[in-house]
Amino acid sequence: MLAKQVLHFRELLFQEGILFCYSGYMTEEILSSIGNTLKQKMALDKTDKNIARGVFTLFVEQVQNVIRYSSEVEPIERGDGQADVELRYGLLTIGQKEGRHFVSCANMIARQDVERLRGNLTKIQSMDREQLKAFYKEVLRGATPEGSKGAGVGFVDIARQATHGFQFDFHDVNEEYAYFCLKAFI
Amino acid sequence: METIHVEATERTPEIHFDFARNHFAIRGESYPEDVAEFYGPKVRSLAAHVGQLQGASIEFHFELIYFNSSSAKVLIGLFDLLDEAAEKNQVEIQWHYEADDANMEELGEEFGEDVSHATFRMVAKD
Repeated sequence: MLAKQVLHFRELLFQEGILFCYSGYMTEEILSSIGNTLKQKMALDKTDKNIARGVFTLFVEQVQNVIRYSSEVEPIERGDGQADVELRYGLLTIGQKEGRHFVSCANMIARQDVERLRGNLTKIQSMDREQLKAFYKEVLRGATPEGSKGAGVGFVDIARQATHGFQFDFHDVNEEYAYFCLKAFI
Repeated sequence: METIHVEATERTPEIHFDFARNHFAIRGESYPEDVAEFYGPKVRSLAAHVGQLQGASIEFHFELIYFNSSSAKVLIGLFDLLDEAAEKNQVEIQWHYEADDANMEELGEEFGEDVSHATFRMVAKD
């Protein structure tokens, strides 16, 4: 029964073309390990160098978004006078379907941030390559606006690398939180 | 100022800042856990040194395999710093990239567009 259940889960993932799936607390160590394995897998598959770089970029920027900004946080009190560590929860999937590679990340965000984020992403999504380039440089040079928590350069980088675009969506979970998902394609 | 030399790691590039010769280089992968912690002190030393130079010949080599968006913020700051220094000094920036790496080539060209005083050279490696 157990194996059958898990096999069913695996089949659901495979139907979606998912090769990597991680749901849990995201840390820099997780980023390093999955990142290295992702590179190995793409090297084995002889993935085109520029595509592999793009997929890796989508992966790094999305995972770092979760590590820094997911609202689902588990504080760890170190109690040794050092800054407390926080673990942030997210769901990552990487895969390939219908000839396109994709990287998707999802995490909780505060509902009050939804409209700002939706506005930023809609704006970036509507830009062509030249506009994205100009905006990328503008954001790189500007100081990160307080509270925006960098909802700038990482997303612009994702938009630039995602040769087949990206989708995003929000879903209210309760009064305080909404679930945010972004899926980018190459 | 003493030469700063830091070996590359999986996620951070080799840094070689030779202040005596005004030869500087950043080589490798750049997606540090904490960009400010990794680059902050080194870039501050560089800015302090370059800021007081006049009539010097400065060479800066960028030889990056991959850099994330937080590292890109540091890079653009370095280009602006070097371009400003080029008003009083001779500054050559070299952007090295693998010949088949269209992405790194394009990024180099984009950064190079904004450099007006320093010499910006694209160097393809086979």
